[in-house]
Amino acid sequence: MAKDNNIQGQNDQTLSAIVRRQFNKNRPAVWSLRVLIVIFIIGFTADFVANERPYYAQINGKSYFPLLKGYGVDLGVAQWPSELSNVKWSELNYEKVVWAPVPYSTTTVDLKNNDYASPFGQQNVPSARWKHWLGTDNLGRDVLSGMIHGTTVAMMVGVVSMSVALLLGLFFGALAGYYGDNKMKMTRLTLILNILILPLAFFYAFGVRSYTLTDSLGTSIFAFLGQLLLSLAILSAIIAIPNLLDRFFKKLPYLGAEISVPVDIIISRLIEILESIPSLLLLLSIVAIIDKPSLMIVMVIIGFTRWTGIARYLRGELLKVRSLEYVEAAQALGYPEWRIILRHTLPNALTSVLISVSFGIASAILLESSLSFLGIGVPPEQVTWGSMLSLARGVPQAWWIAIFPGFAIFVTVTIFNLIGDGLTDALDPRLKQ
Amino acid sequence: MFVYVLKRLLFFIPTLLIISVLTFALSKMAPGDPVRLALGNQDQGETNGGSSDKMAGEKAYLDMSEQLGLNLPSFYFQLSNAATPDTLYRFIKKPERDNLERLISMYGNWPQIADYYASIKRTEYAMLDVKQDSTTYTSGKTVKEDCAKLYLDYKDRNISAIIDEMVAASASSPLMSTVHSEAVKMQTAYNAMKSQATPAKNWIPQLKWYGTDNQYHRWLSHFLVLDFGISYIDKRPIWSKISEAMPWTLLLNLISIILSYIIAIPLGIWSARKKGSWADRFVTVILFILYSLPVFWVATLLITFVTTPEYGMDLFPTFGLGEVNDTMGLGEVFAERASHFILPVFCLTYGSLAYLSRQMRGGVLSVLRQDYIRTARAKGLADGKVVWKHAFRNSLIPIITIFASLLPSAISGAFIIEIIFSIPGMGKVAFMSLGARDYPMVFTVMMLSAFLTLVGTLISDILYAVVDPRISFDK
Repeated sequence: MAKDNNIQGQNDQTLSAIVRRQFNKNRPAVWSLRVLIVIFIIGFTADFVANERPYYAQINGKSYFPLLKGYGVDLGVAQWPSELSNVKWSELNYEKVVWAPVPYSTTTVDLKNNDYASPFGQQNVPSARWKHWLGTDNLGRDVLSGMIHGTTVAMMVGVVSMSVALLLGLFFGALAGYYGDNKMKMTRLTLILNILILPLAFFYAFGVRSYTLTDSLGTSIFAFLGQLLLSLAILSAIIAIPNLLDRFFKKLPYLGAEISVPVDIIISRLIEILESIPSLLLLLSIVAIIDKPSLMIVMVIIGFTRWTGIARYLRGELLKVRSLEYVEAAQALGYPEWRIILRHTLPNALTSVLISVSFGIASAILLESSLSFLGIGVPPEQVTWGSMLSLARGVPQAWWIAIFPGFAIFVTVTIFNLIGDGLTDALDPRLKQ
Repeated sequence: MFVYVLKRLLFFIPTLLIISVLTFALSKMAPGDPVRLALGNQDQGETNGGSSDKMAGEKAYLDMSEQLGLNLPSFYFQLSNAATPDTLYRFIKKPERDNLERLISMYGNWPQIADYYASIKRTEYAMLDVKQDSTTYTSGKTVKEDCAKLYLDYKDRNISAIIDEMVAASASSPLMSTVHSEAVKMQTAYNAMKSQATPAKNWIPQLKWYGTDNQYHRWLSHFLVLDFGISYIDKRPIWSKISEAMPWTLLLNLISIILSYIIAIPLGIWSARKKGSWADRFVTVILFILYSLPVFWVATLLITFVTTPEYGMDLFPTFGLGEVNDTMGLGEVFAERASHFILPVFCLTYGSLAYLSRQMRGGVLSVLRQDYIRTARAKGLADGKVVWKHAFRNSLIPIITIFASLLPSAISGAFIIEIIFSIPGMGKVAFMSLGARDYPMVFTVMMLSAFLTLVGTLISDILYAVVDPRISFDK
């Protein structure tokens, strides 16, 4: 059966199959992908790998599942029984207990091993089970636990910021690449109305609703997303008005003449302008205006500064694809433009956008760790690789804090770079057989 | 060519304008009170003197805001709603103005809101003139605190409770009779504001035109004649702070860029010529690792291991640029500076070096595949001649384009390096001013870095044409 698949795979000449075959020949890239899967698993299960609360505990004949229960308490649907609220988990008298592999959370302060306990030095722990394998920091927090939970943060940064960047990048890239400079046509009057109505649309979508939006951010992220969607709906509804009326304007004398909008020029200039601002400085000054530091906001802002690369890439690919025969064929068949963009041109250009996503994740993780290294934008209680690394400054004896978190950043960034390289090579038409 | 350069230079103008509007908007959104920062952060909320002292404090505040130009509208125009008065910018204290905006969004009747606001002011001043004694101490304190709260509250429930409390507290002593009557008036004003609400006015858009006498225009017109204003923190002209910091950043970047090109070009050619050999593979792997090493990690490691006696390798100084005085000779000054520069320059160089040589190797390889190289080889030319005479110039094209993208990342990289190694360059200065919310400074650094980046892009485009005669910008 497996053999059959293999033969079928060899004959498969779709673009994605060819790319996959080429990619699989690139050993470093394939290995990176495997390591990445491991890192992702660690990131997803961090709470279960490193946690101060035991999986299972039996105290005075009663059984508890503190680790799972912790989620319920955090969500507000459960409460700690009185004998377990505000306890030091490691100091309870258990009859039976099953600990997580690393029995420390990021916030667990081990007072017996504070002030930088070295991984190789004498540690004040009851048994090897409780050893701090990668040492502790000044407060006695376990470095290994921080590393594991930092993985979750890094993965989230990569995924969230690149999703934001992808959304923006695909939107602008597709607009610029598909329409170019002479394909978006509208009557003069529509263009004028569009320019006039745009501020008005923003006024009704965001200006009037600004307090509703900011207040909902205080309640919950879902309430905010709901309000945001509503705002976007208002925005697009208002913008749609003149464009729907376009066909009626055509009969007008001067104002009804069709002109083309230079979409490509406008978007390319926008990208050029954004790219001429040093991203770290831009990021720093945006983050500085936020009252309450939050990882989520940092991730979204990183996404907002990183979309230009994707847009540029996609634009280039689309400009190339646009003049190919199958697009002309689709146009000749009378398909609407959105269908040609979404169904025909995007899928072909997307494979190459993967390259820039891969490199983009690397740089997003790097940017976030630079920020938390500088102690900006991320709340102080949030443990990230960058914030751990920053603890090493000025404490030369704690080499383990200087080495391990930085190494984690390095490995993750390298992996994404290698995957990006692998994709670049796999998509290179010169290497295709 | 000339026309092309001119066109590009003209394109600088809108770009820089947009960046300036962006930075300006960011600085306007930033929390914190620049006037108070410039006044040295003294707290004016708690004055124990009479109303005249308070007025003097307010006057100083107004004077400073006038000096900083913050009493002007922010921009040429503003799209807001019919409920908001076009003079709202005159309320300079941002938290109070924000609260007024909030009230406007709730009630939409500016005359009544203004009445209410004025009545808080009157109550506050009336309270300041009350003679302090045992009967007025507690209730007076309550009234003062309540006034401060009212300036910043918009929730109906809170406000009603606070006003009730004030009316009750001020009734307790005969000395506070004026305060009491003002508090009662305030209650009436507040109720009038609530009952005569016209929130629908918030839905009518209105364009407010302020003309050229605004903060942005003033800042920009000064900026264009290189008058960058003064720093909020130490009142020094920004120009002098920048001109002290800029040379270090430029020097750092210049050395690092030159070094990386000098090393990367031969290295790339060498490893392309040895393609596939173990030496090439080794170099490629090393370069790849260097490329992925986060610069702040390397800097932290270097500081940890080679600048302290902890591991027996106290080879370099840790921070700063070293002490230089007049008695030292040129050689000594150079040695002192160089020892401080080695680590930062190394950190700044290795990444771009690795990137450049990878590109150079790729460039050479793709040129060596060309037909004319095969022809040259077929003619029997020596390998060195083929590479240096035929392939070299063409393989430079990719790494020259990179120069443009190298510059912004070099500036960003230099920022972190300067902060870690405590070098008083632009990055360090910008970082410090961001922390202190000294926005005129941040502004200037941002504009200058954007300008440098644009210039870098232009230079690389011109070099492009110089290296490759096939490329011509004249049509």
